[in-house]
Amino acid sequence: MPYWYYDKKDLQNTPSFRDGINNDTENRYRKEGARFIIDTGSKMDLGYNTVATGVVYFHRFYMFHSFRTFPRYITACCCLFLAGKVEETPKKCKDIIKVAKSLLNEEKFNTFGEDPKEEVMTLERILLQTIKFDLQVEHPYSYLLKYAKCLKGDKTKLQKMVQMAWTFVNDSLCTTLCLQWEPEVIAVALMFLAGKLSKFEVVDWNGRAPKHNAWWDMFVEDITMELLEDICHQVLDLYSIQTQPSGGESPPLPPAPKPPKNEKKPPVTPPISASPAAPAKTPVKNGAEFYPYAPPPVAYTAPPPRLPPPPRLPMGLVYDAPPARFVASVPPPPLVPPPFLRARSPASSPPILSAAVIAIHCSDCVKVFSLCELRVTKPGRSQSFY
Amino acid sequence: MQGVSAPREQAPPVISTSSTILNMREKEKYIEDFDFPFCDESSKYEKVAKIGQGTFGEVFKARARNSSKKFVAMKKVLMDNEKEGFPITALREIKILQLLKHENVVNLIEICRTKATLHNKYRSTFYLVFDFCEHDLAGLLSNVNVKFSLGEIKKVMQQLLNGLYYIHSNKILHRDMKAANVLITKNGILKLADFGLARAFSVAKSGQANKYTNRVVTLWYRPPELLLGDRNYGPPVDMWGAGCIMAEMWTRSPIMQGPTEQQQLILISQLCGSCTPDVWPGVESLDLYNKLELPKGQKRKVKERLKHYVKDPYGCDLLDKLLQLDPAKRFDADTALNHDFFWTDPMPCDLGSMLAQHTQSMFEYLAPPRRPGHLRHHHHAPAQPKPPQDSTYQDRVF
Repeated sequence: MPYWYYDKKDLQNTPSFRDGINNDTENRYRKEGARFIIDTGSKMDLGYNTVATGVVYFHRFYMFHSFRTFPRYITACCCLFLAGKVEETPKKCKDIIKVAKSLLNEEKFNTFGEDPKEEVMTLERILLQTIKFDLQVEHPYSYLLKYAKCLKGDKTKLQKMVQMAWTFVNDSLCTTLCLQWEPEVIAVALMFLAGKLSKFEVVDWNGRAPKHNAWWDMFVEDITMELLEDICHQVLDLYSIQTQPSGGESPPLPPAPKPPKNEKKPPVTPPISASPAAPAKTPVKNGAEFYPYAPPPVAYTAPPPRLPPPPRLPMGLVYDAPPARFVASVPPPPLVPPPFLRARSPASSPPILSAAVIAIHCSDCVKVFSLCELRVTKPGRSQSFY
Repeated sequence: MQGVSAPREQAPPVISTSSTILNMREKEKYIEDFDFPFCDESSKYEKVAKIGQGTFGEVFKARARNSSKKFVAMKKVLMDNEKEGFPITALREIKILQLLKHENVVNLIEICRTKATLHNKYRSTFYLVFDFCEHDLAGLLSNVNVKFSLGEIKKVMQQLLNGLYYIHSNKILHRDMKAANVLITKNGILKLADFGLARAFSVAKSGQANKYTNRVVTLWYRPPELLLGDRNYGPPVDMWGAGCIMAEMWTRSPIMQGPTEQQQLILISQLCGSCTPDVWPGVESLDLYNKLELPKGQKRKVKERLKHYVKDPYGCDLLDKLLQLDPAKRFDADTALNHDFFWTDPMPCDLGSMLAQHTQSMFEYLAPPRRPGHLRHHHHAPAQPKPPQDSTYQDRVF
């Protein structure tokens, strides 16, 4: 079987890179492609599993081909088309193309060629061969729910934490994390992050054994704090990356020096608003499945909390009470697509936003917060932390 | 991110420069030359003969070019009339075969492709490549020279139930159990094959029934719940098929050959008794129960009618348990495997030595039609493909 996980060196030396596309640009293409799959999928009422499977195909595909050979948006459509069939939620190719057309500007849609459907059909065969017909993909979502089931503590806080972690998993699709780590590891890391940010301290869990320092030791062996932090930062970086030289198939640029990770930056434009899906996006029936919740508008305008003292996320502002069904179904925690994935009533909902916005809104404090807080849990001190 | 478009992007994509995507010609060349690391070309195998017609394409016997001893079965994925690209049925089969790895389930080696060229409009054809099995059960049963001892029949059924136990444990329904889909290697290892109709199942959650299609399973092997329109079925549908196949080990031809769904139900009632809420609680709520004219007052005669063929009382008893009308009462694979049939003398015994006497492959596709009184000797030249079975046979076997 092909091994679908790569180390950072491989992720830098990709076909696109060898084709003259620098890493930052490639990562932006990946992010845009993934976001486009998410937006198209959501607009077509496709569930999170289908969307996530499509995104994983997309990332894997570009480990073998260059973004210059295969423009990202049509590949994205093709990945979603195949994922729909694999996950038993098939959508007609022409419908996917129709939605794609509505989400893309003319110039981007022109990369689909003269006969978009035929292009997708040809591309599908290339995609299948590239991913070795390795169709079944696992995602962190199911692990998230499985792990949450074991954690003890305040139910409301737990729900908030899981909800937040879920959103991080959604957003993690825009990174190459699925090419680096198994879904179990990603689930642990993003639950850990959500736990930190939502102030949910896991003090006890079902199945605890003396050898366990932390709850995740029960599920994933030898997970280090460095690894957890690295994964969290890759997701958090999504929210603080500076507006890149925008534009599509721009010529390869010399790699721009990356800003230091925890350097303070003024809040940047939420990536979501720059996403191709942004224009006039209103919730469609169940279409917001992918976005567990939409933060109220106030989340934009509220100033980031001062730092220090204790960095606080404006949780109250950002997170609504979980929808009733969620409360009702816990305990026991949901096994099936959790109800918090339902769209809220269209009438009162603000434009759908990725949870990313929440973190962006105070991305700096998240950064600083996570950095300093994470340090506390460095091995050796984890005992006292809990 | 949409943002402001770079001027470069608006440049017409004529020739590949560092700033534009590839043009059509370049892309075709790229596709033609790209050496997919995970998907070999089908030319590594050499077709020997056509051996069957699967749910979605032809099946060939082929030889590996790098080794004259290694044979495979290649199943072509038919895509000619597919408006929606690679068929979802083929994707299902691939997904399921990748999941199932068991001695009694056919092994998918790889998926091969033809080279994409101008000739095929840069669209490859795909083949599922399996380990080759010399025989299928329908082919063996149609050959009067192949004689199964009781121990050998037990071995066949034990392996078949082992395979079913494994796939059901993995939450997969086969949905097309029939003798032609049971392969047997020359060493006597049985393999369940053709997962073209298979699907994953889940145990229905309270108040939310599954809605699977009931248009599955070859008519003669179709269980009564499917014929009555059940859409919330499960593993028992395959167990009914296992029962039909088991009886066929002795009768040598399918035991209930109904030409229509209605007729099939009548045949079932004549053997297993009428479908009534008494013997099958809940049958009255199935969609077609009140819409169809069902035989009334039929007595169950499974043992009575089969004992002439199946002299072994344990065998008769197991058949009785597998051919239960009520799917809830039908034995599951595990219970069936624990039945005394498999644990009494003669014990299941290896098929290898019996099959060693037959040097030629036996496939239903290549065999003459099986009809009582018309059993023919094995022929040496491939027969013409048979007409569709469902319409040809009206006569009852017994």
